[in-house]
Amino acid sequence: MSWKPEVDEIKQRRAFALGQGGPEAVAKQHGQNRLTIRERVDQLLDPGSFEELGPVAGTPVYNEAGELVSYDPANFILGFGKVNGRRIIVGGEDFTMRGGSPSPAGLRKSVYAEDLAVQYKVPLIRLHEGSGGSVGGTSGQGPNLPGPVNAPSRFRSVAQAMATVPVATAAMGAVAGLPAGRLVASHFSVMSKSTAQIITAGPAVVERAMGEKKTKDELGGWKIHTKNGTVDNGADDESACVEEIKRFLSYMPDNVNQLAPVVECDDPTDRCEESLLEVVPRDRRVAFEMRKIIHAVFDHGSFFEMGKGYGRSQITGLARLNGQTVGVWGNDCKFLAGSMTADGAHKARRFMELCETFSFPIVTLVDEPGFMIGSQAEREATIRHGTSAVLTAAMTTVPWAAVMVRRSFGVAQAAHYGPETYVLAWPSAESGPLPVEGGVAVAFRRQIEAAPDPDAKRRELEEMLAAKQSPFPRAEALSVHDLIDPRETRPELCKWLARVQPLLPDLLGPSAFAIRP
Amino acid sequence: MTNIELETGGSVWKLLVAEGDAVEEGQTLFILEVMKMEVPYEAPHAGTVAALHIAEGDSVAEDDLALVIQA
Repeated sequence: MSWKPEVDEIKQRRAFALGQGGPEAVAKQHGQNRLTIRERVDQLLDPGSFEELGPVAGTPVYNEAGELVSYDPANFILGFGKVNGRRIIVGGEDFTMRGGSPSPAGLRKSVYAEDLAVQYKVPLIRLHEGSGGSVGGTSGQGPNLPGPVNAPSRFRSVAQAMATVPVATAAMGAVAGLPAGRLVASHFSVMSKSTAQIITAGPAVVERAMGEKKTKDELGGWKIHTKNGTVDNGADDESACVEEIKRFLSYMPDNVNQLAPVVECDDPTDRCEESLLEVVPRDRRVAFEMRKIIHAVFDHGSFFEMGKGYGRSQITGLARLNGQTVGVWGNDCKFLAGSMTADGAHKARRFMELCETFSFPIVTLVDEPGFMIGSQAEREATIRHGTSAVLTAAMTTVPWAAVMVRRSFGVAQAAHYGPETYVLAWPSAESGPLPVEGGVAVAFRRQIEAAPDPDAKRRELEEMLAAKQSPFPRAEALSVHDLIDPRETRPELCKWLARVQPLLPDLLGPSAFAIRP
Repeated sequence: MTNIELETGGSVWKLLVAEGDAVEEGQTLFILEVMKMEVPYEAPHAGTVAALHIAEGDSVAEDDLALVIQA
């Protein structure tokens, strides 16, 4: 007798597993404009490239005769696949069963995702829609027995994954509890504006504990979480989230032991953009668009901004110079004058840690007036978060180039320069311990008070000191490597990158400090 | 109809258009003062100022509707 009966049952179980939570649950998911996890995986991966792990993990249901009548598959889908030809690990909850709250096999598969990524050293992509544990336990019959004392820490592999491979996560629907924690334990996270909410606990738990009546969207919709840094980016819908993840991945190596992929570049390295000659207004009070400078300097269309909605005085993202990945960090003087806020500093720290983890050279476009001041800034512990960013910069080992576009003041400016930074200054550069406008009133207080017209005296002193902000002494004293025509910024940065690129292989491998969420 | 909403709070330092004015693409509509910086807002396309919700000296908040341009 052959093994045909068992082989038939394997087939039957696989067929049951593909049914997910059943036709009604799938129709309900579609009715709310959301895809099922299998459809999401298909949307992400190259056609036919999914190699599923544990496809028949689940709970069988037998009739009285002991025959298999149905099957509850694990409500977490996991496997290998390819994105634009590159192997990755993908995983996500099946919301059509138990609202994505883990079943016994679902939990096992979900925590295996990070282990696999670390083991195989390939990027991890999570597509989340699910909640955490239930007081009913994974079985639904009551609390689970806690794991043994010698079980490995569940979060160790989550942290290890972030120090080893690129991790990108999307919130596709409601994400709560453990999945929400894993969502933010990523180098890049994105949420669907039309279908996702991210909540530590849902409306019912919140109302019971705090008497606060809020909908899921009010608690954790995109308007909350793209502005507080919970996620890096928001995207219109599920497919836009997938596109953002694919774009992010295009800049990333497979793991920390490899260099980032280099793409063919048809943008000449010696391109000089005429608009840069006048992009910074001569009137020091008039704001300008730092993003226009970024778009003009880096490879055409290569800037991928991360975290646009929060810490908005700082602009961070990935871009390419001559086809090679670099981290880009500029100030936005249109938002709080570009000053270093607590959330801007947090964003900057994560950005630097991302670059350090994956050995990306960093290019800063500096227009930093200093730490944000005032009572709100003091309440936000700006000096602690800001100093954290400054010391992170000081501890990095990747190559840095800084372009002093306009202001570079105070302790906060130090965050924009790593060790041995190659510094280029535009003629519009100003630097010092603090901007003239704030500093004059303090340093010349007695002189101003003694003057017949204190206001006029203050203005006179401000103008006198501002006039001394000539760019030339900086270059004479070799305080900068060179003073450049702003139009030459791209050619100069491309030349710099060609010089530092040979140093990058020595930086590969685990970083001295790992990225934290 | 294009709503021009404020990217940050601040105060309206200069208002350079009036309701009913024709504007060109890229024309400066008004200038906010934010942390001692002048932040100009430009017309994203040509049209007419169909509604105006700010005045010089106003204190304004992020996401406030400043004006509406009818193409």
